Amino acid sequence: MRTRAYPVRRVLLQGLPVIATFATLILLWQLAVTMFRVPVYFVPAPTDVLRALALGRHLYGQNLLATLYSTIVAFVLAVTLGIVLGALVSEIRWIWRTLYPVLIAFQAMPRIALTPMIVVWFGFGYTSKIVVGVFSAFFPVFLNMVHGLQTADPDQVALMRSFRASRSQIFWKIKFPTALPFLLAGANIAIIFSMLSVIVAEFLGSNIGMGFLIVNQSAQMDAAGVFANIIILSTVGLVFHYGLQYIGRRLLFWTESDGSRVNA
Amino acid sequence: MTASRTEISKPEPSHDAPSTREVVSPPLLDLVDVEKTYATLDGERIIALSPTDLQVKAGEFICIVGPSGCGKTTLLNLISGLIRPSGGEIRFRGVPNEGPSAEIGIVFQKPVLLAWRSVIENVMLPIEVMNLRPRQQFQEKARQLLATVGLAGFENRYPRELSGGMQQRAAIARTLVYESSLLLMDEPFAALDAMTREELNLELMRIWKLTGRTILFVTHNIPEAVLLSDRVVVMTPRPGKIKAVVAVPLERPRTLELMGTARFGDIANNIRSLLYGTGQTQGQGA
Repeated sequence: MRTRAYPVRRVLLQGLPVIATFATLILLWQLAVTMFRVPVYFVPAPTDVLRALALGRHLYGQNLLATLYSTIVAFVLAVTLGIVLGALVSEIRWIWRTLYPVLIAFQAMPRIALTPMIVVWFGFGYTSKIVVGVFSAFFPVFLNMVHGLQTADPDQVALMRSFRASRSQIFWKIKFPTALPFLLAGANIAIIFSMLSVIVAEFLGSNIGMGFLIVNQSAQMDAAGVFANIIILSTVGLVFHYGLQYIGRRLLFWTESDGSRVNA
Repeated sequence: MTASRTEISKPEPSHDAPSTREVVSPPLLDLVDVEKTYATLDGERIIALSPTDLQVKAGEFICIVGPSGCGKTTLLNLISGLIRPSGGEIRFRGVPNEGPSAEIGIVFQKPVLLAWRSVIENVMLPIEVMNLRPRQQFQEKARQLLATVGLAGFENRYPRELSGGMQQRAAIARTLVYESSLLLMDEPFAALDAMTREELNLELMRIWKLTGRTILFVTHNIPEAVLLSDRVVVMTPRPGKIKAVVAVPLERPRTLELMGTARFGDIANNIRSLLYGTGQTQGQGA
């Protein structure tokens, strides 16, 4: 495929304002904390957060791995489940009539409120975190899949019918590719939902993970530690987001609109 | 009802044809009393197409003209087998039509190319769906057809990289790649600019001649219909029906210059007066 060049100038033009904004904010934060003598257990200075990050390397590494494990397993399960159920619901009439209303009712429920019960049912280990993660990451994938499949162009379906295509041929050659961009948008939300829910589940019942760590640090008035924790989690979230966006660009090359048009 | 049917001219009278075989051989496409009605939600019946007879011979180029709502697209969809008639029968090669057939190809108003497939992959789509083999041979045929429609060198481009005219050319290649003997074209060039349209009209006539296909072409452009066809089917709306079939006895190959001649103008005017309801149903046989 065509490669897109990133000239140094463009990177600088786009990157510099972002870096400058962040640098200014951090500087203001540092100044405010020092000037007003805010106690470190209340709001830590950026330097305190940096120190906490450096000192707690091993602690963060170990707990981050636990959180990542639950998040990714839950994400993969949710995406798989969302694709399969989304396809079944939109392709098979009686499943649409029976399962779809139930799933929509579940979707309307504040699922996070069920987390304490899920911990009771599935225990303190990874299982409860994964169940909670799947439970919340499933819906954006599922709903986007259903919607995406139904956006298929009726003319393309008619064209396939004129070739006497089977339902599965129409699904794989028309509907599924049409749904892919929607699916990717759903996955992008799902990965963040998954991480959020796993952390909440770790708040409530766990002895490992970033959520568990945040609860402990808060209890010990270790505000710098909590901030360090949040910075790590934000970075992970950004990596997920851009990672999925990168995969999406590769996979959905045809949705880019900047292609050069050739004239007849 | 009877009135509308008697107005339809049958294909060339066959008295002068000495071969009896030609008299008995069925037309490629035979519509007998074909009608389509829809029921609205409050139970009212809407007539999309009142009972219609039409015979099409193999190798003919027929245009269907008429204002919107006259049942042109309904007629085409019925012939393609995408929708079923409410009454009557459609015979293809003498056999009643049961759903879409591999012998009938459709070109829609939009090119309907799949954005995630390259041009050649789009042309190969019917081959894949119908699972025709050997694949290699069809791949080669697809390549040749793309050259025929003027898209040589664009095989591996994606639809979004092509202009509207080029996309429609690819769509035509896609219906030619399998052995469809009847091409149904539903205002295929309506969305294109006038110049591209004329160019594609000439090219379509060349491809038609070259491939020996039978073409049924829907348009609302009268000069386009006269330029292209052997016979023009004139339809009127409410309820949709065939008002007349006008023969176009102009010699081929036809050029754009032909459109300026008096004979061309006479035929076009005749169709126009039929459409606006002032004309009598004359000049059908010729």
